[in-house]
Amino acid sequence: MTTLRIRRIALAWPLVALLAACVQPLARTSETAAARAVVRFGWTGSPDSLHPGLGVLTHSYVVYALVYDSLVQLELDGSFGPGLAESWQRSPDGLEWTFRLRPGSTFHDGVPVSSRDVVFSLELYRRRAEFPFLHGYTTQIAAVEAPDAETVVLRLRRPVPNFESQIVFLFVLPEHVWRSVADPVAFDNAAMVGSGPFRLVEHRRNEYVRLAAHRAHPVAAPRVDEVVFVTYGTLDALAQALRSGEVDVVRGVSPTAVRALRRAPEVEVTSGVPLSPSTTFVEINQVDPLRCPQGGACNGHPALRDLAVRQALAHAAPKRELLDVLLLGEGAPGRTLIPDGLVGFFHTDLVDHAFDLDRARELLDRTGYRDRDGDGVRESPDGGRSLAFRFDFASDDPAAPRAAELLARSWARIGVRLERRAVDPNALAAVRGPSFDYDLLYWSWTSDPDPNFMLQAMTSEQIPLGGNYTGWSDPEYDELYLRQAATLDADLRRRLVWRMQEIALREVAYIVPFYERTVAAYRRDRFRGWRTDGAGLALEDRSSLARVEAMAAR
Amino acid sequence: MSGGRRLGRKLLGSTATVLFVLALNFFLFRVLPGDPARAGLADPRLSAESVAKIRERFGLDLPVVNGIESLRPLRFGSLWTDPRETQAARYLSNLLRGELGISYHTNRPVAELLGERLWNTLLLLAAGQLLALAAGVALGAWAAARSGSRGDRLAVLGGLTAWSLPSFWLAMILLFLGSQFFGLPLGGRATPALDGGPLLRALDLARHLVLPTITLAIVSFGEYLLVTRSALVDVLSSDFVLVARAKGLSSGEVVRRHALPAAALPIVTLAGLNLGLVVAGAVQVEMVFSWPGLGAAMLDAVARRDYPVLQGVFLLLAVSVVLANLAVELLYPHLDPRTRRS
Amino acid sequence: MSTPTAQRLAAERRQVRIGAALLVVAAVAALAAPLLGPAAPDRPLTTGDVFAPPSARHWLGTDDAGTDVLIELLWGARVSLLVGLVASVISVAVGGGVGLVAGFAGGRTESLLMRLTDVALVLPALPLAIVLVAVTRPGLASLILVIGLVTWPGTARLVRSQTLAVKERAFVRRARSLGSSETRTLMVHVLPQVLPLIAANGALVVSQAILAESTLSFLGLGDAELPSWGRMLSFALARGALSAGAWWALVAPGAAIVAVVLGATLVGFGLEQTTAAATRRNLLAVGSPRATHGRGRRDAEAGSAAAELSVRDLTIEYPGPAAEPVRAVDGVSFDLRSGEILGLVGESGCGKTTVLMSLLGLLPEGARVAAGSIRLGGRELVGLGERELAAIRWREISLVYQGAMNALNPVRTVGSQIREAILRQSELQTAELVALRVRELLERVGIAASRAGSFPHELSGGMRQRAVIAMALACSPRVLLADEPTTALDVLVQAQILDLLRELRDELGLSVVLVTHDLGVVAEMCDRVVVMYGGTVAETASVDDLFHRPRHPYTQALLAAFPDLDRPAEVLRTIPGAPPRLDPPPPGCRFAARCALAVERCRHEAPELRALVPGQRVSCHLAEP
Repeated sequence: MTTLRIRRIALAWPLVALLAACVQPLARTSETAAARAVVRFGWTGSPDSLHPGLGVLTHSYVVYALVYDSLVQLELDGSFGPGLAESWQRSPDGLEWTFRLRPGSTFHDGVPVSSRDVVFSLELYRRRAEFPFLHGYTTQIAAVEAPDAETVVLRLRRPVPNFESQIVFLFVLPEHVWRSVADPVAFDNAAMVGSGPFRLVEHRRNEYVRLAAHRAHPVAAPRVDEVVFVTYGTLDALAQALRSGEVDVVRGVSPTAVRALRRAPEVEVTSGVPLSPSTTFVEINQVDPLRCPQGGACNGHPALRDLAVRQALAHAAPKRELLDVLLLGEGAPGRTLIPDGLVGFFHTDLVDHAFDLDRARELLDRTGYRDRDGDGVRESPDGGRSLAFRFDFASDDPAAPRAAELLARSWARIGVRLERRAVDPNALAAVRGPSFDYDLLYWSWTSDPDPNFMLQAMTSEQIPLGGNYTGWSDPEYDELYLRQAATLDADLRRRLVWRMQEIALREVAYIVPFYERTVAAYRRDRFRGWRTDGAGLALEDRSSLARVEAMAAR
Repeated sequence: MSGGRRLGRKLLGSTATVLFVLALNFFLFRVLPGDPARAGLADPRLSAESVAKIRERFGLDLPVVNGIESLRPLRFGSLWTDPRETQAARYLSNLLRGELGISYHTNRPVAELLGERLWNTLLLLAAGQLLALAAGVALGAWAAARSGSRGDRLAVLGGLTAWSLPSFWLAMILLFLGSQFFGLPLGGRATPALDGGPLLRALDLARHLVLPTITLAIVSFGEYLLVTRSALVDVLSSDFVLVARAKGLSSGEVVRRHALPAAALPIVTLAGLNLGLVVAGAVQVEMVFSWPGLGAAMLDAVARRDYPVLQGVFLLLAVSVVLANLAVELLYPHLDPRTRRS
Repeated sequence: MSTPTAQRLAAERRQVRIGAALLVVAAVAALAAPLLGPAAPDRPLTTGDVFAPPSARHWLGTDDAGTDVLIELLWGARVSLLVGLVASVISVAVGGGVGLVAGFAGGRTESLLMRLTDVALVLPALPLAIVLVAVTRPGLASLILVIGLVTWPGTARLVRSQTLAVKERAFVRRARSLGSSETRTLMVHVLPQVLPLIAANGALVVSQAILAESTLSFLGLGDAELPSWGRMLSFALARGALSAGAWWALVAPGAAIVAVVLGATLVGFGLEQTTAAATRRNLLAVGSPRATHGRGRRDAEAGSAAAELSVRDLTIEYPGPAAEPVRAVDGVSFDLRSGEILGLVGESGCGKTTVLMSLLGLLPEGARVAAGSIRLGGRELVGLGERELAAIRWREISLVYQGAMNALNPVRTVGSQIREAILRQSELQTAELVALRVRELLERVGIAASRAGSFPHELSGGMRQRAVIAMALACSPRVLLADEPTTALDVLVQAQILDLLRELRDELGLSVVLVTHDLGVVAEMCDRVVVMYGGTVAETASVDDLFHRPRHPYTQALLAAFPDLDRPAEVLRTIPGAPPRLDPPPPGCRFAARCALAVERCRHEAPELRALVPGQRVSCHLAEP
């Protein structure tokens, strides 16, 4: 008897579910009935924390940038415009920055924003080293003051060029909410009270984040009612969701889907340089074993310390092929760590090592690397080790194994063998600097608006500190770095940075296959006003989200 | 020995198993390479000071136990440190308080995260297993009733083929077909920003459940089919089946009222076992359908070396298996009166 | 026409063969891969190479890196098959070893090993595999090891229970008592018995291992350098095959996995079936046998109207291993008069049970009433459909089966089973009336009414038999069929049951057909007896005539073989030879081959059942009045 009943109940489930499939039109109708303009933004991944100090993933920062304001705002062309501050000045020696706050800014709970909130926030970030990134942006601040309710004065320890690029991430928190929090590091910040154009309505981890318009925002009051960021597990599902209309706009389209999406009439596909540009590169372990940091392994292949070998590898790196196969053309060939998206800082006249296999072979022949035992792999001049390099990459990166294959095939043609290994991402992080327990490594970085941190990664000083992952070292470069970090002359700084790139490229500190373009897509029939004309493309930025409006009836 | 004593021994055994899992949990996750404090943070912007502070916050700077500083790389330390200031001590004291620690990744209590996810996974599993059970038992009974015939062979082949399907593959295909031709959602648990009463929400949930449930059911029903069939083939050779037919009962009535109850034991045992094991098996389905469940949480946690979450998930899974086994043991006397007194 | 058994065996063998064929194809494909060269093209790739649809150049299209899917599939076969095979070898070796030792050694070793196995089973397999692969470096070796480690507990459990069973078998115990060392006993006596099961399980582990490899590779934990089917799927998903419309990148590797896993599963499953017990009879599939045209001769001496049950010329066939069907019952005729107990006697295989079952219309699948008629109270039963027969069963004619554990459903109470019988009658409907009737029935057969809630295993053998009788009486039938009702009961209880039957017959006016091979029971209970041999009736007589004046040589031999309480020291005279094959039956008298008196005529011409004296009929050429 029980079996029968169980069976009846069990069979009822799918029937209910199938009936429920008819709910879809119901869902839509309920919305039009309420006549609310809700932008459904699809992405893969999800914010890891609602606490601006603790977030690590870019998804978190997207949400922070919408919910909070900073003193300044990153524009689509890479410049810095007014944020909470409507104007600011820098003292001639660069040690004092004065910001004038715009009147009329309020937090989502109605409390007006004042300079006390700014001071409180900056002090919080400064004091707690547990905040992985935001703390680092405050290290140069010696003191913060609020002479009056609309003015904030920062005093720096030493002049920092392009200091706005660090302030932009120092989100302004409401003092009246945070001052009573017992442990600001453990605080869950579930309410996320900020002053940005959107306020948090609902957050379901790994499912969606719901934001509603904060109409009282003086500058960027949104024209839609809500923005919902919906998480999908795979890029495939994301593309499908866009085509079926389940979402209105997506960030991140797999390059292979671009072709198919472009053919869909209701979808507009656009690509461009991301607002936070990223660089994909091959790290080459060239640390000097005699100056190995404490506790490091420093067991890189000695041939990699030979410039000729690195140049040969550079000449044999099939960058065009990598771009075509991995990104299907949605990218630009790489040079150095500094991506082409950092307009002004990127050296536009650099001439890369040409893809020339004969040249590569000649280089190796000339310096004595020959294949003596006929196995297709060259050995070092003293007959010791063969040119077989470990090539590590993250096991969770879908494109990395393909890149490894293509590089391996091309380098095999010049007598170099790669031992490819998929390593799980954490283990991978552990073998880079300061451990230096690898030969070649495939990695990618998202850059800040300012190239300083990227440039710092190639300084000698960072080798023992663990910030330099290849162990490459050049005294001229080090000197240039110090100079560019101190000069306030934008032009001079640019020239110095360009010079640094020349050195890095010539000495083959890294091999950079490409800079990725970002591909975004949106439906033509839902919302209009997407900012696709800027130098950078970021549909998730407030420059688009606070500007788009619903088109007529759905 | 009486039922009570047997149950007591079972409980003791189960507790021993759980304790063992707890110990294994602790050591296993500290043998994984990579530093959780640096998880995904290999970035020049991360200062050494920050790393140190983070490690301190999570107790990662403490020795593992007295005498062992770290397990990977294996480093020994002083035996005479304060035993309370070790990772093991922290782990135990947390456990005793019922806390599962704080996630390294989200800084939220692990119990909070697992609580949300557990419910989602249970929902999915219950739906999938019930459907699989219903379909498997029905088909298995059908096949057993005509064992040896073409229909029987086809049913068995169908069950075996379904069992041979990789779940993630089936999931991907069903996702594509389901969304393309039936307008079913592409993932997730609920449509965000859905205004409406609980009924609408329930229907929306059901809509999102359809594809993952069907996927799970397809890969699981084969087992139920085979076990039901083999148990029934056994039972159908018993004389009481003949007597039941002699009473004038039809085939269907005999199967429902006599054969299935007598064959219930192995079927229920399998269902119980599955409930424990399939929690982990739903990982692939959860991943493809973006279902926010335990499996997805676990995959994330492995990638990020989020030890506390991993420990929590393992513990939860192990305990669920133990509980499922216990539940089945408790059910035995009701299913088969012959086991009431051994 | 072959028997269901033969068909089933053939189907199983075919199953194993198909499975093996799939595996062989995969193996050949794997070995052939080097002949086709590398999957990746030798020239620089362009965007046009990515996810190219199937064409003459690429039969299954290309994947996300421009490699030919078909060739990659073949290369992938090597890895997937290798991992699957080696991992399952490890798993079976470890699991089998643990199970054997645990089952054989017993005691503390067994507890410890089983505790270990239990813990290993409790740990969730996939998460554990993921973590273990992350601990070691992702690669082929760690993959194989991890899969082996995660799958051994299942085998261990299985092997242990099998070992336990084998250990208790007589030949093993004998070997041990003869001084064979433990190891030797284990290896030489126990292992060969368990090996078939290990082999069957091993095939299933192979399929598990291949699935596991594909899953782990799919999750990015496989070997980065070597292609495998799981890895192909991983790229297909991660690089957006579906949204690019490249279904071939997804379907091909998946189909390959399914094919190979199915192949291994078919092999394992098929092997398991053959090592399992012999064919089980399907007692569900009994039913109304199809009668052929032609009712056969109608015996002049009908008397059918007066008799409760009248069987004429009943001939029943069913398909056998040979081409010709087995004629289990041939031209059987007898009457059951109202209120009499008719004994149906004969050795095993003489067809008496078949006759009995045919009275209820419960012949096994494939059986056929080739000729004859069965009349119950004047109504013809042969040719009736299931529904009509179902209406008659239990109400007019019911069955008392051997009351051993099996005649009653062990998981239902006695009361509920009697209740079920009562409910066959449409008159009694209300719960109280039904309960009353249950009590009434139980008390009538001598069981306390309180036992209605007991389960069969809680009753003694005698009480079970009484319960079975009570159940048979539930609808007050006219005819009661009893099949060996006292076998497996001790003598005292036997007597009680027989007394009970006689009482019931006297009280309720039942007519009983009592099938037995025990002549003592016949002597005590029956009014008249039908002796069957080889599917035919040898002799019908009153019990008195049968015992004192047996006419058929077989009857005489039977009686001579039966031990006499008065002359216990006599050597029992058995009947030499064996019963004849009935497919087809011998042309002459069935008993001719074993008959001491047989003449040439007996071998060619089948004797008719004729009445020598009133009330006694014999089918023998040589019988004299």
